[in-house]
Amino acid sequence: MRRYGRVFREFFRACLVEEMEYRSEFFGNFIASFFGIAVALLTVHIFFYQTDRLGGWTYGEVLVLLGVFNALRGFIDFALRPNMPRLLEHVRRGTLDYVLTKPVDSMFYISFRHLVFWRLIDVALGLGVIGYGLYVERYVPSAADVCMFLIVMAASLLLIYSLWMMLMTTSFWVVRIDDLSFIFDSFFDTARFPGSMYRGAVRFVITYVLPAVLITNTPALALLGKWSVPAALAALAVAMFFLWLARRFWRFALRFYTGAGG
Amino acid sequence: MIRKYIALLRMKYIEMLAYRLATFVWMTGAVAQPLITMFVWMNIHPEESESFVFYFMAVIFVERMTSAWDVWELDREIREGTFSNLLLRPLHPIHWAIAENIIYKWLFAVILVPVWVVAAVFWPALLPHMTGSQVVLFLLAVVLGAALRFLLSYSCGLLAFWVTKVAAVYGVIDVISLFLSGRIAPLEMLPPQLREWSEWLPFRYMISFPIEIATGAADRGEVARGFAIAAGWMIVLIAALQWLWKVGMRKNQAVGG
Repeated sequence: MRRYGRVFREFFRACLVEEMEYRSEFFGNFIASFFGIAVALLTVHIFFYQTDRLGGWTYGEVLVLLGVFNALRGFIDFALRPNMPRLLEHVRRGTLDYVLTKPVDSMFYISFRHLVFWRLIDVALGLGVIGYGLYVERYVPSAADVCMFLIVMAASLLLIYSLWMMLMTTSFWVVRIDDLSFIFDSFFDTARFPGSMYRGAVRFVITYVLPAVLITNTPALALLGKWSVPAALAALAVAMFFLWLARRFWRFALRFYTGAGG
Repeated sequence: MIRKYIALLRMKYIEMLAYRLATFVWMTGAVAQPLITMFVWMNIHPEESESFVFYFMAVIFVERMTSAWDVWELDREIREGTFSNLLLRPLHPIHWAIAENIIYKWLFAVILVPVWVVAAVFWPALLPHMTGSQVVLFLLAVVLGAALRFLLSYSCGLLAFWVTKVAAVYGVIDVISLFLSGRIAPLEMLPPQLREWSEWLPFRYMISFPIEIATGAADRGEVARGFAIAAGWMIVLIAALQWLWKVGMRKNQAVGG
């Protein structure tokens, strides 16, 4: 575990150096991130111009949810999304062999080798919106709330990571992966709002099949003091299950790869 | 000219078939955002659920019929220099873009119209109640909206001769249009100030206006005024496009020569 921490730090440093070569880009990206969150806030504002509840959530609560969503999406864009095209490239050219011979776990290497550093701005902005939402709501989370928030947030990160890893793994068979990530984005966008807002089949799918709702709603609720220990444990269990699934799928794909390469 | 266009259309059609999966993906992706927004509004005003279903299905349909992606194409082509190849051909490059737009929208229509018909059988809220003249005006408004969006997209794309990040510029415009074209909410749901802006800016005429005709939300006088404003924007955008083209070509030669 310590070794993986060190390796990750090394990835982080290498990518930071790379990033610094394009410093002029940084400012533009910064503006783009701010613009993105401003648009999201404006959208929520338009909705609350007509109502004071959305799926039973107040304005402040929806803001907290939006903050969680933004932070999680920042994490995806920071660590996961940039690695996807590389994996595709590795599989197509057969250079995945080099990765497999490295003394770190291949799944770890594949998912974290390339980091887009400036996307952490989105995580920071997300935390800012969470803070603002709590301020609007006039709610100060207790230590237990924050603790619970951190636990379910970790579960959410694991879940997202597993879902993305499975998506990435399909690059062993699929050629144009950017289309797939586009579909994921469309799905994940549903997590921007309270799950209680959706109806019928859509609600069922995003709650149980692709747990977009679980990913954002539970952390937001935890921070607002509306948590329960069984729900948190369930989230952790689901996350572990998906991680196991992703791991199995990766192993399966690797078998397929050696089969094709040899 | 017609013969040339038929040849162009056929080429673009074959090109499109080569990227079937991508076409499918972009189509489903375009559905997600309006559907989410629809759920939000159904939640806020449950008693009007049916009209929101119709409205946002119509948004998906009209959005596909009028959407233009030329700014990204031009951005890439001008940056990578492949645009010069198009310039060497005997036909003005804009005709290639127009042909491509026609083919894609034709495909979207061929897929979406039957889907709509089947869905309307199961979901009576989707049945349109339109008179003959409403249908004609609706189709006319869609074509006008498509033309406006195309002109805006192409004019912005030409800015790539001067600016390196045209796609980002267009991104800002797209966000403004998100609110003012009726994609995030039916325009009558917006605060009065925004509603007033939407009347005078071109974005309403790209999506919301045809739908307002279809639902009968706009009365006769409003429809006439809407067409007049849209036509005005059309003239402005054509003039802008021509001017940008002329100046852009000079700039392009200065770099190329």
